[in-house]
Amino acid sequence: MCSGRVDLEFILRAFSNGQDGVFIGGCKLDECNYVTHGNYDALANTYLAKRILAHIGLDPGRLRTEFMSGADGNLLADYTDDFSKQVKKLGPLGKTEGMDGKQVKFRLDAARKLIPYLRLVERERLRVPVKTKQAYTQFFESEEIHRLFDAIFGDRLAISQIMMLLGETPLPTSEIAQQLGLNPSAVSRHMMASSRHGLVRYDTASKCYTLA
Amino acid sequence: MEGTLGDFRVSLKTRPRYIIEDKCTGCTTCVTYCPVQYPDAFNQEISDNKAVHVFFSQAIPLVAYIDDSCLKLKENKCDICSGVCQTGAIDFRQTVQKTDINVGAIILSSGITPFDPSVKDEYGYKRMKNVVTSMDYERLLSSTGPFEGQVLRSSDKARPKKIAWIQCVGSRRVTPGDNSYCSGVCCTYTQKQVILTKHHYEDAECTIFHNDIRSFGKDFERYFQRAEALPGVEFIRSYASVEREIPDSGNVVVRYATTDAGVKSQEFDMVVLSVGLNPPKAYKEISQIFGIALNSHGFCQTESTNPIQTNRPGIFVSGAFQGPTDIPESVFTASGASSQIGELLDYRRGKLARERIYPMERDVSGEVPRIGVFVCHCGANISSVVNVPSTVDYVRTLPNVVYAKEQIFSCATNSAKEITDLAKQKGLNRVVIAACSPRTLEPLFRDTLREAGLNQYYLDMANIREQCSWVHAKQKDEATQKAKDIVRMSVARASFLEPLLEFDLPVNKAALVVGGGIAGMTCALSIAGQGHEVHLVEKAKDLGGMARRIHSTLEGLDVQTYLDNLIQQVYRNPLIHVSHEAAIKRVEGYLGNFTTTIETEGRVKQIQHGASVLAIGADVYTPTEYLYGENERVFTHIDLGQQLALGNQTILGAESLVMIQCVGCRNEDNNYCSRVCCGHAVKNSLKLKEKNPDMRIYILFRDMRTYGFREDAYRQAAELGVQFIRYTPEDPPVAQAVTEGGREMIRVVVADPILGQRLELDADILSLAAAVIPSASVHEIAAHFKVTLSPDNFFKEAHVKLKPVEFATDGVFLCGTAHYPKHIPESINQAYGAAGRVLTLLSRDTVVASGSVARVTENDCVSCGACITACTYDAIEFYDTPKGKKARVNPILCKGDGLCNAKCPTNAIILKHFTDDALLHQIDAAITKEVRTNEYRS
Amino acid sequence: MGNDVLPKEVIQQFSDNLISKKREGKNFGDVMVVGGGVSGIQASLDLATAGFKVYLVEKGPSIGGHMAQLDKTFPTNDCSM
Repeated sequence: MCSGRVDLEFILRAFSNGQDGVFIGGCKLDECNYVTHGNYDALANTYLAKRILAHIGLDPGRLRTEFMSGADGNLLADYTDDFSKQVKKLGPLGKTEGMDGKQVKFRLDAARKLIPYLRLVERERLRVPVKTKQAYTQFFESEEIHRLFDAIFGDRLAISQIMMLLGETPLPTSEIAQQLGLNPSAVSRHMMASSRHGLVRYDTASKCYTLA
Repeated sequence: MEGTLGDFRVSLKTRPRYIIEDKCTGCTTCVTYCPVQYPDAFNQEISDNKAVHVFFSQAIPLVAYIDDSCLKLKENKCDICSGVCQTGAIDFRQTVQKTDINVGAIILSSGITPFDPSVKDEYGYKRMKNVVTSMDYERLLSSTGPFEGQVLRSSDKARPKKIAWIQCVGSRRVTPGDNSYCSGVCCTYTQKQVILTKHHYEDAECTIFHNDIRSFGKDFERYFQRAEALPGVEFIRSYASVEREIPDSGNVVVRYATTDAGVKSQEFDMVVLSVGLNPPKAYKEISQIFGIALNSHGFCQTESTNPIQTNRPGIFVSGAFQGPTDIPESVFTASGASSQIGELLDYRRGKLARERIYPMERDVSGEVPRIGVFVCHCGANISSVVNVPSTVDYVRTLPNVVYAKEQIFSCATNSAKEITDLAKQKGLNRVVIAACSPRTLEPLFRDTLREAGLNQYYLDMANIREQCSWVHAKQKDEATQKAKDIVRMSVARASFLEPLLEFDLPVNKAALVVGGGIAGMTCALSIAGQGHEVHLVEKAKDLGGMARRIHSTLEGLDVQTYLDNLIQQVYRNPLIHVSHEAAIKRVEGYLGNFTTTIETEGRVKQIQHGASVLAIGADVYTPTEYLYGENERVFTHIDLGQQLALGNQTILGAESLVMIQCVGCRNEDNNYCSRVCCGHAVKNSLKLKEKNPDMRIYILFRDMRTYGFREDAYRQAAELGVQFIRYTPEDPPVAQAVTEGGREMIRVVVADPILGQRLELDADILSLAAAVIPSASVHEIAAHFKVTLSPDNFFKEAHVKLKPVEFATDGVFLCGTAHYPKHIPESINQAYGAAGRVLTLLSRDTVVASGSVARVTENDCVSCGACITACTYDAIEFYDTPKGKKARVNPILCKGDGLCNAKCPTNAIILKHFTDDALLHQIDAAITKEVRTNEYRS
Repeated sequence: MGNDVLPKEVIQQFSDNLISKKREGKNFGDVMVVGGGVSGIQASLDLATAGFKVYLVEKGPSIGGHMAQLDKTFPTNDCSM
C-alpha cells in the first residue's frame, strides 16, 4: 500500500473521531521505488484535506505530511516530535477554533459525505499536470485554486450540513440558518435548489423543510 | 577434499557447541547465570560476553554456544548453565563431529579478514586504548554494539568529540606487513561512518586524513560530497601517523603534513584506523585443501575472462576472496557462481531438492474472529522499555481476542512453532504479532500461519519496536501505553482481514537479453547453457558493443580475440537467437510472461519470454574540451588504446604525451566517477613505456582511482617514470596548440600542487579520459520495460547492496555498463550474476502472485475511469457487460499500491488486505472510547 | 537492526534446507558453499531456488559473516542485518 492510498476519508474520519492531529508519512518524492509516484497523490490529498479543514473552521496545521526514505528513522522522529509540539500548542480539536466537539464532528461528517463528489472534481479540475513538488505547491497554494475550491466546495458543504440537520428533524429556514451560522438568504437559496432537485420538501402546515 | 567435478568428497569437522540445537530456544537464561566474562568477538572484544552466549542477537541459528573459556571445559568446575536451562539443551558430552559430504561442485566464499593493525607498532593499535579500527567503530555505532549505539571510548567511557580517521591503513603500502593493493571500500565506508557519527552527535568534529578519495562506485561521488558538506567535517589530504598517547587524557596525537602548512600535530579524542581487507585467514589451507591457485596477495587466482572460475574445474569463487570487493559484487558473484554451477550440473537439477508442503488451509471465513496476539520481547529490545506483561494483560481485554501471550523472540524457530501449535489448539483464526516492522519478518510469520493451516493473510504485525521501544527508550510508561494503542489498532484491523488467494502463474522458459556486448552475450550464454532459449537483441549490425573498441586490459587480456571467440560461441549455440539492427517497439506482460515486439532488419517480430535482461551498455562522452575534434593530436583514452593496437607510429614515437583525467564527469553535468579511466590511463602508459621507454608521460589527475589490484599497475607506472600530477577542478589544465621550432605540439599548462608553480608541458599527443555516459537509448528502454533510472541516468537496481542485478520491476534484470561504468572482468562477473538470478525464475514452472490486489464490485462501478487513469501498471481495463462498461483488474499486473481505491468516487474498487473496512476500523481504534468521552466530548 | 531484504529469505530457506537435510539422511548434495557471509548466503539461496541441494559450511557459530557486524550500509544507511 502506497501513501497515495491514504484516503481523504481516512483523514477526516480520524479528526471526526476526535484526534487532534493527523500525520502522514510517505516515501521521498521523486524516489518512488516503483513507477507510480503515488506519493504525489498523497501530497494532493493533503492539500485538499487542509483546504477542507480551513473551510470548516479547523486549523489546517493539524494535518501534516512528510516524505522520507525507509532509512530516515531519525527524520521521522524529528518530524513527529515537531508535529506533536505543534498539535499540543493548538490544543484539543475545536478548542482553539472555538467550536465544541459536537459541532466539529457535525461539520466533519458533513464534509465526509462530500468525498465521492470531491474525487470526481479532483480528477476534472484539481489535477496538477506535472509531478514536481514546485508545481504542486504553486497549484494548490494559488489564489485561483483557493477560489475555485471554495466555489465548488462551499455550497455543497452547506447543503450537506442542511441535509444532516433535516435528517434529525424538520426545521424552518431561519432555524437552519441559525444552527449552521449561515446567512438566511443563502439558506433559502439552497433550500429552493434542493427542493427543485427533489431532495427536500416544504411542509406548508409546519413551515418546515423536511427530507424528501 | 578429493574428487573431481560432479563428484567431490569433502570431510568436515564440526566443532561442538555443547548445546543441543533443537532444544535451545535462544532464551539466554544460561547467559545470565554464566559466571565467566569473556571478550565478545562479535563486538570486536570491546565489551565482554559470557562463556555461553548467542553469537549475536539475530544469529542464525539463534541458539547459544559455549566457547573455550568455559570453566567446565577448562577445569571441570561449574555446571550452572545445565542447571538453569529449562529445556535441557546443554550437553557437555558433545565432541568434534566428522562428516563426509558428497557434492557435485563447490563455491569458495571465504570472504576477507580485516587488516590487523596491531601487527605494526606504528599504528598504535592495542597500545593506545583510543585507537580503534573501523570494524571496532562499526560496532560502536551499532545499537547492538558494546555501548548500545553510543560511541564511547573504552578508556574512560566518555564520548569522543574530536575523532580522526586515518585512511589506507594496511593498504597501498609496500612496507612489510602491509598490502600493496587498494582495498577499494575504505574511502566510502569511512564517509558512511562520518555521516552516521554526525547523525548520532551533531557536535562531533570529524577529520579524515586521506590519500586519493576513491569514490569510484555508483553514487559514491555524491555520497562523498554529502559527507564533505557536513559542518564540522574536514577532509585533509595527507599521510598521517599516530604519534603518541597523552597519558592523562588518553587522547591521541596525529602527525600529518599538508602542502600549505607543513608538518603539524593535532590531538584527537579517538582515532579510527580505516583498515583494509586481507585475504581470509585460512587462505593457505583453503588453497591446499581445494587445490586452487592463489595470486601473490593470497586471494584466489582467476582469469579476467571469468573471475568466478578457479583453476580447478567444478570449484568456483565468489565474493571478496576474488579480491577486495564491496557487498554488491559479493552478491552478484555469488549469483554468478550459482549460474555457472547450473551450467555444469543442469542434469541433476531438482533431483535432490524438496518442495515445502503445507497443511490444508482451514476455511474459517464463516467463523467469528478469534484473534491470538503474541507480544515479543525481542530479547530486551522491546521489553527493556515496554512493559510486555502489562501489554499482554491489556490485550486480553480487547474484543475478539481469545488468546494472548508473550515471547522472548517471536521470530525464533521454536516460537514460530509455538504460534503454530497454539493457533491449532486454541482455534485461532487471526494472529497479531506485536514485534518489529513487518518489512523483515512478515514473510516468516505468514509462513507460520500457513503451517497452522490458516490463510497467510490472516496475519497482522503491530510494530512496537522501531515505532515504539526504540524511539521512546526514556519514556517507559508512555511507551507501554503506546504499545497498547498500537496493538489495539492492529487487533481492530485483524478482525476485518480476509483470506486471499495467491495464485501460480506459469513461467515462459525463454529469456530476452537486450544488448549484444560482452555483458549481454556472457549472460545469454550462461542462460542458454542451462537449457533455456535466449533471444539476444542487438541494435547494431554486429555483436560486440563497446568492447570492439578496447584491445587489452590491465590484466593482459587480448580483448579482440576473446570477443571473437565469445561471438562465435553465441552464434554456434542453437538455443540463442540473435536479432541484429533491432529496436524494441513494445513490451507487454509481466513476470514470467512477457511479449516483446521488436523490429529487426526491416521485419517486425514478437518474442515470448519469461525474463528480461537489460544489458544495453553505455556510451563514451565526446569531449568539447581540450581541442578534441579540432586538433589531430588529441585523442580519447579509447582512441589511444586503439591506435596503440594498430601500431600508430606517430604516437609510439612521441617524445612527450599528456593524459588528462576526468573529462566530462565528476562535474555538474555528470556528477559521478567513470570508474574505468584511471585504469585505462595506467594501462596505456604501461603499453607506451613498453614500446618507447624514453617517452615522457604525464598523467594529470584529480584522484587516482586504481582500486583493488590495479594499484600495483599504478605503482609500476610511477616506477617506470610516468609522472602523476594532481589538479583541482577549480584550476583545471589548459591546452593550447603551439608550434615551436617547427614542432607542432599541444602545450598543457597545469598548476603543480607540490612545487606550487605552473608547469608547461609540451605534448606531442594529448589523451583525454572521456567519461562513460549512459546509453542514448536508456530512457526509451527504461520506459518500455517500466524500470527506473538512478540520478545519473544509469539503470537503478532494486537494492544497491542486496539486489544489485535486478530491477524493482519483477522479472527484469540488469548487468554491464548500463548499470554503471565498469571494467570488463567486472561486467563478466555481473553478467553471470544476472544469469544466476534469471535462472532462479526460469528454473521454476510457476511464480506466485500476491493476493493483495485491487478488486471491482461491478454493481458499484459507474464507469468513470478514475481508477484506470490512476493505475500506472495498466492493470485496469474496461470490459463490456450487460450493464455497460465496467472496470476490471488484471491481478497479475496489479502491484497493490491502492491508488485506484483512493480515487474511486463510489468505492467500487477495493484494495484487498487494505480495505476501507479494515483501515477505518484501525483508525477508529486509535482513540479509545474513554479518551473520546473524557477529553473530547466534554 | 533488522529492516532488510535478506534475513527473511535466509531464515525461510535455511529452515527448509534443514528439514530436507534431515529427511534425506544421507550426506549427498549438489553443491557445497564454503563460507556463510553475504556471498555464501546469496549463492546458497540462488542454488536452492534454482533446484539444487546445498550444503552451506560456516566456521563460526552463526552465518552472516563480516556484514553482520556492520552497523549500516551505504547509501541508504539501511541496517545490514
